[in-house]
Amino acid sequence: MKTKSDNHVLRHVFLGILAAIWLLPILWLLVTSLSAYKGINTMSFFPQKWSFDNYVQLFARPDTVANFPAWFKNSMLIGTFTCIISTAFVLMVAYAMSCMRFDGRKSLMTFSMVLGMFPGVLSMIAVYFVMKLMGLTNSITGLIVIYSAGSGLGYLICKGFFDTIPASMRESARIEGANELRIFIKVIIPLSKPIVVYTVINAFLAPWMDFVMAKLMIRSKDPSDWTVAMGLYNLVQKNLVGDYFSLFCAGGIIVSIPISILFVLMQRFYVDGITGGAVKG
Amino acid sequence: MIDKLEDYYTELHTSVKKGDLWTRLSLLIMGIGYIVRGQIIKGILITLAEIGFFTFTFGFSMHYILKLSTLGTVQREEHLDLVTLTKTVNDYDNSLMILLCGIIGILMILAFLHLYIVNIKKVYKIQLRKENGKHINSFYEDVKSLLGKKFYIVLLALPSLGVIVINIIPIIFMACIAFTNYDIDHQPPTYLFTWVGFDNFKSLVTLGDSTTVTFGYVFIRILIWTILWAFFSTITSYFGGIFLAKLINDRNTKWKKMWRTLFVIAITIPQFVTLLLIGKMFGDFGIVNSFCESIGLTKLLVKIGVLNASSTCIPFLSSPGWIHIMVILINLWIGVPYQMLSATGILMNIPKEQLESAKIDGASDMQIFWKITMPYMLFVTGPSLITAFIANLNNFNVIYLLTSDYVTANMQFANSNAKESDLLITWLFTLTNDYSNYKIASVIGICVFIICSVLTIITFRKMIYGGREEDFQR
Amino acid sequence: MRKRFLSLVVAAGMIMASLTACGSGDKNSTGDANKNNGETQELSDEEKQAAIDNLIANTEGTVDLTLWCSETQEYQDVMSELVENFKKEYKDVDFNITVGAQSTATCAKEVLNDVEAAADLFVFPDDQVNDLVKAGALQSVDATFTYDPSQTNSEATVDAATVDGKLYAYPLTASNGYFLYYNKNYLSEEDVASWDNLLAAANKQGKTVGMEFSGAWFLYGFFAGAGLEVYMQEDGKNYCNWNATDTEYTGADVATAVTNICKDEAAVNCSNEIAQAYALKGDMIADVNGTWATSGFMEAFGDGYAATKLPTFTVNGEQVQMSSFAGYAFIGVNAYSKNTGWAMLLAEYLSNEESQTKIGIATGEAPSNLKAAESDEIVNSPAISALLDQSRFAHLQRVNSNFFSSGGTLGRALKEGEYDDVQKLLDEAVEGITQ
Repeated sequence: MKTKSDNHVLRHVFLGILAAIWLLPILWLLVTSLSAYKGINTMSFFPQKWSFDNYVQLFARPDTVANFPAWFKNSMLIGTFTCIISTAFVLMVAYAMSCMRFDGRKSLMTFSMVLGMFPGVLSMIAVYFVMKLMGLTNSITGLIVIYSAGSGLGYLICKGFFDTIPASMRESARIEGANELRIFIKVIIPLSKPIVVYTVINAFLAPWMDFVMAKLMIRSKDPSDWTVAMGLYNLVQKNLVGDYFSLFCAGGIIVSIPISILFVLMQRFYVDGITGGAVKG
Repeated sequence: MIDKLEDYYTELHTSVKKGDLWTRLSLLIMGIGYIVRGQIIKGILITLAEIGFFTFTFGFSMHYILKLSTLGTVQREEHLDLVTLTKTVNDYDNSLMILLCGIIGILMILAFLHLYIVNIKKVYKIQLRKENGKHINSFYEDVKSLLGKKFYIVLLALPSLGVIVINIIPIIFMACIAFTNYDIDHQPPTYLFTWVGFDNFKSLVTLGDSTTVTFGYVFIRILIWTILWAFFSTITSYFGGIFLAKLINDRNTKWKKMWRTLFVIAITIPQFVTLLLIGKMFGDFGIVNSFCESIGLTKLLVKIGVLNASSTCIPFLSSPGWIHIMVILINLWIGVPYQMLSATGILMNIPKEQLESAKIDGASDMQIFWKITMPYMLFVTGPSLITAFIANLNNFNVIYLLTSDYVTANMQFANSNAKESDLLITWLFTLTNDYSNYKIASVIGICVFIICSVLTIITFRKMIYGGREEDFQR
Repeated sequence: MRKRFLSLVVAAGMIMASLTACGSGDKNSTGDANKNNGETQELSDEEKQAAIDNLIANTEGTVDLTLWCSETQEYQDVMSELVENFKKEYKDVDFNITVGAQSTATCAKEVLNDVEAAADLFVFPDDQVNDLVKAGALQSVDATFTYDPSQTNSEATVDAATVDGKLYAYPLTASNGYFLYYNKNYLSEEDVASWDNLLAAANKQGKTVGMEFSGAWFLYGFFAGAGLEVYMQEDGKNYCNWNATDTEYTGADVATAVTNICKDEAAVNCSNEIAQAYALKGDMIADVNGTWATSGFMEAFGDGYAATKLPTFTVNGEQVQMSSFAGYAFIGVNAYSKNTGWAMLLAEYLSNEESQTKIGIATGEAPSNLKAAESDEIVNSPAISALLDQSRFAHLQRVNSNFFSSGGTLGRALKEGEYDDVQKLLDEAVEGITQ
């Protein structure tokens, strides 16, 4: 019995060490955001002087470089809409590919996979001009379109999940007279909470991470038109980093709040999803 | 394949030949065949689409399609009138717009042609139905079938349109660029670029060409590293994630939710923030180096010969070799929590029925693992493995943000504007963004595309075509 | 199928609509327009006034202009103030002028991504002139109406803004070069005169001296100081003789000299933000850097804050003065501006003597205008006077981007000192620079 409890302790110690590795950079981010010194403190972990000023500056004193409230609002808007549209797209495509049989399905699947392999960075400039043709550059709508329009290509994981749902469940619904739309919404989606959560999180995160495309699309040089990613990235450019690094850290911490809330909310569904899986077992 | 094509045309042929007046009139006004047979709304919609297409093509895209062969001939000329301080500009061509709008126009024409042919056949079929006194669907019934057997059309319509606009058109455009001379000396709108055939491909393979001293050599080196990177970064975070998920979800582990949350915190901070931060931490003058020096690790490494004698710091992100290993490790840090989350979801869904019946049949734990758990895991996570592998081939953020301060130590790389740590995608980005060398970037892009597609399709063929979808849907 | 068809039509309609909206702006085209390929034209005072009057008379509605300049608060404030003054100067015209924050370092890149959507006026450093001219993004300064930039600014500045004998931008500041910051509490004037003394003094006190040796931009100072050249030729390729063996000081001599400096324990190869952090901590007492770091070093060195020209270094036992790139910032007018006339007048206004003085005082940058550069506030700044001092040895930066990637790797190799054959290294680097 002794070895078992030893194992038990060891397991938790090991997890503790791993967690420490994962949290250390985050801790540094947090303490640096509370530093009174605005530049990078690369020599010591903790700041010499503590201050809450970065957070005050972030919200109360927008200047010509940093307008965090506006960035946050823009990113929130983009994130929410992108999240809704891409989740819908991914689920739709995954359902069509997994649960329906039609001509050209397999070739469409191969084609979509091959398409995903084209280096996106290369076609960025072309995407910009396509957007310009539609008059969508320099606007939040344009960014939403860019982030969500191609999302249908990322259906593979979701399809993999749908594949594990027994076909008999769909069959019995069909016998009861349900059409495909009904089966999709009433049968499949309720069974797929974990994967829906996964998709929602991914879709919501994308616009918060991207600065390359956003920088190309948003031509305005007024900081109030930028997204969080663009703005924060700009703060660590060569001639600003010395004066804005700790502000950048504070921004990073604040951004993590909506994302954390999303995760916490979604964790509940994870548990649901796990018990939901038992239905099939 | 050829049979199908043949059918396609014979069908068309008979439709036109045997169609009555209305069917033939549909060649002109596409909706008329429907309208006379009672499908009024359908007929009007299709006619409207036809009108839309013709206004689009002749009002807009024809202008560009006609210039596609030269990509424009009139260069921009401007004149500033110093008396009135106003400027006059000639009616110049913009090669980029010609190419882009030309492609859109041609795609539209192709799509329309297909629709046109399908339309004729359909009209003919309706004619036959009418003649045979069979039932013709009302508009309501058409809509209803769209929610039933044809539901996939509804599902796929919008996502496909999005993919066409955001992916396909830009990809065709960039692929065309590889056959032009679009570079720093031919930048629209002021200057024109034009077709040059395979010149760019030739200059990539012929070494010693003056514009591409070492592109060929560097291309191979970077390609190898890109594949190694994609392989290792995918595998490490995949197994790392499954391992962590199993560790946390084990029945002996307490406070499952807390552990999960701790790791999830790491991904709530946007990637570029954490990456920039970690990059600074591991810099030559960063806190990790300060720490290593204070505990004497740096000196120790010098002593055992890992670092050379003059080193004052551990070159985590500033020396080839080190940087390669570091980016994979840092990517592990980024990737494991994500994989942990998805693995958690999937592990929970292993059909217990199968496991139990196997147990009753007397299978050992090992047999169960290899015969049931592993195939199931691979099948379910297969798609995510493919997606992750492809995503890593094109993983821009990690490499770009971690290595932006890195100066290459290899002159051949430097001469091709590359670094040892570059993936093909970051190299492409540098070439286009910093050097406006679109033509070579496009050539490289096409090569990457071909190599990656072939590799992936071969590797994952079984997963896609294995036909095991039904196995697990039982 | 119908549904997809419908959406195609909708998309087509959208594209049509946006196109007709774009197209209507470009009606003023004539066939016989020729590029004005003379030098800046001399207009009489009456002609100039008449041109401005014509412009005012012909202006209808609001004039929309966008100006991109450096994103720092001081720069933005002073530019907004100047823009307000400009509006007062032309009271009869209704302006809508936006000042945007765009880092000058990446200005050309941003402009070239889409010239048509870029600002009407933008501030950019001189090393981007070539790229911008090459892409046809700059409106040449065919004539000036309120003052003559080539008379009021230093000759070197005007040269830097001139390509093929044509002036392409309005000189604004002349402080984009580099020099030496030091802490006079630790270092005497004699110490900072040469690298040897500097490093010896730093070593004695256990302190360090910083410079970004692995940056091609800084590395240039050594090679150019010893008389070796790199510049862009007319065909757009670089000329470089850093591997020369027949010059007074050979390339190998200079390379060895640089390695010798880097080998010294007090010499630290570091970028701007690291240097500032070390200086603040008190470890670093001198750094080769530019005016953008002024406030950082002022804070770090306190009352010991001082700046001077670059030190000399030892090649073959002789002391050689380091050279540097002289850097300037210009205001350019976008060739695709819808209001070229007003953009040119605004550019003139922002770069005239009075405006340059105000910008200089507000941002600590040295004006390129000769008179503005003499005003007291500016002359009294140690950084600016160090820069002026260094400008005697500085050269115009006229190289294409190949210089930076190959030169950077050369700098790295020299810093690490890990090479067997210095001549081979230089040959390879030169091959890359001149490709």
